[in-house]
Amino acid sequence: MSYLTDTTEGAQYLLMGNEAIARGALEAGAKVVCGYPGTPSSDIIESLAKIAKDMNIYVEWSTNEKVAMEVAAAGSFAGVRSMCVMKQNGVNVASDFLLHLAGSGTRAGMVLVSCDDPGALSSANEGESRFFARLVEIPLLEPGDFQEAKDMIKWAFELSEEIRNLVMVRSVTRMSHASGNVKFGKLPPVDVHPVFKCDGFILDPMEGAVMSLPVRYKHAQQQEKIKKARAIFEDCPFNTYHGPEKPELLIITSSACNLYSREAIGILGVEDRVGLLKLGTTWPLPPELLKRHLSRTDKILIVEEVLPFLEENVKILAAEMAREIGIKTFYGKNDGKIPMVGELNPDLVVGALAQIVGIDYKPVPDEYAEKAEGVASSRAPARELTFCPGCPHRASFWSIHNALQLDGRKGFVCGDIGCYGMATLPCGFSTLKTLHAMGSGGGIASGFGKLGRLGFDQPVLAVCGDSTFFHAAIPALINAVHHNSDFTLAVLDNSGTAMTGFQPHPGLKVNAMGEEVTSVDIAEICRALGARVEIRDPFDLEETQKTLNELIEDKAGLKVLILRQICVLSPEKKAGKKYDMTIDDEICLGENCGCNKVCTRIFRCPGLIWDKEKMVTRVDDVICTGCGVCADICPEGAIKRKEVA
Amino acid sequence: MASMQLAQDPYNIIITGVGGQGNVMASRVLANMLVKRGFNVTIGETFGASQRGGSVMSHLRVSATSSWSPQIPRGRVDVVIALEPTEGIRVLKGYGNPRAKILSNTRAIRPVGVIAGEQDYPSMEKIRGSVRELASSAWFIDATDEAVKLGSPILGNIIMIGALSGLGVLPLEREDFKEAILRSIPRDKLDINLKAYDIGRQIIKQNEDSTGN
Amino acid sequence: MKVFGANELLEDVLEKNLCIGCGACTYLCPYFRAYKGRTAILFPCDLTQGRCWAYCPKVEVDLDDLSERFFGRPYEADPLGFHRSVKISKAGRQVSGGTFQAGGTVSALMSFALNKGYTRAAVLTDREGLLPVPRLALSPDDILQCSSSKYTASPTLSALNQAISEGHDQIGVVGTPCQVLAIAQMRSNPMGDKDFSDPVSLVVGLFCTWAVDFREFEAFISERIDVSKITKVDIPPPPAEIMEVYTDNGKMEIALDEIRKLVPDTCSYCVDMTAEFSDISVGVLEGRPDMNTIITRTERGEKIVDEAQKEGFLILDDIGKENLEHLIWAADNKKKRAFLKAQQEDMVNTKEEGARCYLRVRPQTVEEITA
Repeated sequence: MSYLTDTTEGAQYLLMGNEAIARGALEAGAKVVCGYPGTPSSDIIESLAKIAKDMNIYVEWSTNEKVAMEVAAAGSFAGVRSMCVMKQNGVNVASDFLLHLAGSGTRAGMVLVSCDDPGALSSANEGESRFFARLVEIPLLEPGDFQEAKDMIKWAFELSEEIRNLVMVRSVTRMSHASGNVKFGKLPPVDVHPVFKCDGFILDPMEGAVMSLPVRYKHAQQQEKIKKARAIFEDCPFNTYHGPEKPELLIITSSACNLYSREAIGILGVEDRVGLLKLGTTWPLPPELLKRHLSRTDKILIVEEVLPFLEENVKILAAEMAREIGIKTFYGKNDGKIPMVGELNPDLVVGALAQIVGIDYKPVPDEYAEKAEGVASSRAPARELTFCPGCPHRASFWSIHNALQLDGRKGFVCGDIGCYGMATLPCGFSTLKTLHAMGSGGGIASGFGKLGRLGFDQPVLAVCGDSTFFHAAIPALINAVHHNSDFTLAVLDNSGTAMTGFQPHPGLKVNAMGEEVTSVDIAEICRALGARVEIRDPFDLEETQKTLNELIEDKAGLKVLILRQICVLSPEKKAGKKYDMTIDDEICLGENCGCNKVCTRIFRCPGLIWDKEKMVTRVDDVICTGCGVCADICPEGAIKRKEVA
Repeated sequence: MASMQLAQDPYNIIITGVGGQGNVMASRVLANMLVKRGFNVTIGETFGASQRGGSVMSHLRVSATSSWSPQIPRGRVDVVIALEPTEGIRVLKGYGNPRAKILSNTRAIRPVGVIAGEQDYPSMEKIRGSVRELASSAWFIDATDEAVKLGSPILGNIIMIGALSGLGVLPLEREDFKEAILRSIPRDKLDINLKAYDIGRQIIKQNEDSTGN
Repeated sequence: MKVFGANELLEDVLEKNLCIGCGACTYLCPYFRAYKGRTAILFPCDLTQGRCWAYCPKVEVDLDDLSERFFGRPYEADPLGFHRSVKISKAGRQVSGGTFQAGGTVSALMSFALNKGYTRAAVLTDREGLLPVPRLALSPDDILQCSSSKYTASPTLSALNQAISEGHDQIGVVGTPCQVLAIAQMRSNPMGDKDFSDPVSLVVGLFCTWAVDFREFEAFISERIDVSKITKVDIPPPPAEIMEVYTDNGKMEIALDEIRKLVPDTCSYCVDMTAEFSDISVGVLEGRPDMNTIITRTERGEKIVDEAQKEGFLILDDIGKENLEHLIWAADNKKKRAFLKAQQEDMVNTKEEGARCYLRVRPQTVEEITA
């Protein structure tokens, strides 16, 4: 039993924001929860999956976010509270369905939890999901602390049922992955009998057909729903004000920025000069509430991540109310006080605030600052990202890189999203030359593969992971086969969704809740498409590279090479080393002509260390995971592998 | 009600190291011990990419009153627990101040740039020197060595928690540790974890110069 | 010899399209490899001096140094290079089996040398389809398998490098002039290795006016014929101006002018038609498709040729004045043309401080050649 299922009302726990959201779903009686792994959202599904059986809820890792939203919608249509969870760009993937769902409306409460990643700590973008709420016209809520992360979910479900449309709750990394004290509420007894009522009058919202048609009718209804939400927001307990009646400056903020702003005010000691309006309901903005607070002062600072969503919406309202509230001076992103790029932190807010209220703030005394500056950066050498020791990707990219060099026609690789995305870096021999969204590697490659008719002559490769394959790669592959596009796809199959924490995907026989399910075979799909398919073990460097050169030289359209080797973080691999690795000092050539440290300088596995004194390589037994691949790259055979008994 | 007056409110701790050293587990255990004592604890940390050989930090805010920003502001750390010595220096450069204390492990984890022979890893002497420049008191603990003696290098993080309890700046009790650690480990591992905790605590208590060498 | 490293080799040879794909730089380390007729560098190497540079026949070749070492005198303007005799030859009765090209002299010499222990292994060039494949031969049968002419540049020296790293010595090598030049550089111990001992006991050079690029050749031929059906390729001696491609169904003739378009630029800088740094050089004989021209250069080369004749492995005869004159004229042509071109492009005896160049040789010799 997880502490998340503690039925003690008022029990206090230290919870991650994501765990608070999960508990919130339990307290709301949600019964269907689905999503796709994406940092910083994955833990919500993971914590609920662990207790799914005990709590009789259905938790699913769907193939991609669009499907996840559709699965959750089904729950709602059948009268069961449902939640779908994703990271910011997952909303992009689901957006077409989201648009139509917002048009058709929902039945039992449905909540979309989007976890954004300002600063792109684990993403290839820092896109904003908040704009979708405004774009598709659904209410948007943003929790401002950990208690709210829980409480808001239940409130969101109630709101959703009040207006009969889904509600978006937006979190950020510093809320989802941060932890704080949370007091539990009641766990309701939930008796569900899902029924999809659809025989009634076609336009009946609870018994008719669920669709966004007729569009103008449904769209008008949608706008009524938004108006209703706006009215409810005027009294929402998640919109709070702290500060003097008539402050010099009013800060308007939401989400984790609430915590930064509160702390910034404290650090500068301007509690009696600066007021803090924390909004939990950020779309639509409740106009009366805004009017009240905007009337307090002429100077407004808006603190948010990443783009000026709140700022611009507040400014629109302020312009509309100008006659009543007067002209305001706005500070925020558009005037440069708050950066438009990256995540925020208390120091950045302090900096903006100090400028506006005219305080000269120093985080540490000058003397200390100089000392800190004086400590050379060489005392804390930078740590580059790398593949784990024993990672099959290191071996795969070694072969891919070398096959292309041998081929000599300036071939290149289109990259995709996953751990292997790091192959844009030296750890993957800087092999990847494009990197965008899930499945884009194959899509872009299928484009390059058609340029031959215009004289293009460079070999084209793409890579994608096993999870990415199911999520987004298939349509591009169908495109390639159908249009006879000439490229080679390497599917890096490590039996899991590794980057986000090794979650299962359709290629595996087990689901999120640990139940046995049907696996879908990647090779079979590719063969069915009509591609040439080969399967190899990336740890067999010679065979892999030979096959790659063969495929690259084969002019016949789409070729798929499945490189199958399990991730070193998987439970099976963690269980034990396959080989004990040692280095024969006598044979190691080190820096001399004939080697020049190929294992540490180029291969760069963290398990191999260059010993500057002895001028040889040695194995770090604590870090080495015993995959044995390095023995095959040593030109002298100095690296020995011995099977562990 | 919080059971001890904190020297600062919020009291700020940073646990830092390299991905895989168990700083997340350490921060959880520590935080749960303090929540048990009635405190509000806010933890800020990142997972994912930083695990692949990168630097990691957990920021802990211990408070009698409320949640705080999950990122500690510059110049505001009270205690640094460095599971890796150069990471301790990195943290002190960004968050240190004249009264900061540091408990530092002595075992180096070389970055890829160093093991490839492209960067230099500073000597222990240089590390001690820089640490002492930036901290009011510093303790250097052979946490990994002690953990290896116990049979498991990963226990280094538990030894450091024990050491923190020995400092006496926070109400950290053995019973609370026991309860907190059982949330993360199977029962049959409890004994060895308690041993590790005790060893860490002992190292600090035994040190005659309790203001840190 | 001025020795530099991989980066300079990239700049001066690979990026300037001077590489002929001889294989001298490959398999010395993890970085240089040959693949389908081209030389590839897998990863950058930052050493300032390396064997890849030292062995390469297209950079910093000091012809006087090499000549002193192997022939006891500086490089001179002789079109055929230093030699003791020029004759004609063909394989003798003792050489059994194998489908020889022309007179079969090379196969005869290599079989004899291995038989008698003058060599313990041989580095030769075999063929898979049109692709030349370097091979280490350890038995007479292995040798005969490789007996046929190849007209595409082959990285044969990769097999020599591998053989040496595997501990072989007393190795015999058959190579083109560029390969023979690289072997000469290698044998001169350019890196100053204290423990150096010469692993090559016999160098047989082949006459060569040009070679074609494998990839271009394969593309060209496959447009005209199914490459997998080819049994033999031959360029008969002048005055025939054709290439003959044989399959089971017969022979296809291609005008040599078409083939010449596939010759890489680098061949136009080559000053050596008869592999001047070999022990023995062998080529075709004008007008006589069943014979070879054979040039003996060194003492050990002479010894082997004499014994091979005595023991029935080789049949020798006089070359005759006319044939000799034609040979000299052809060799002189190539040498003069190449030297003029290289000189014009400032690739000979480059004067600037620290400059790297292609050839170094006494200026008076250059003048004599180009006059």
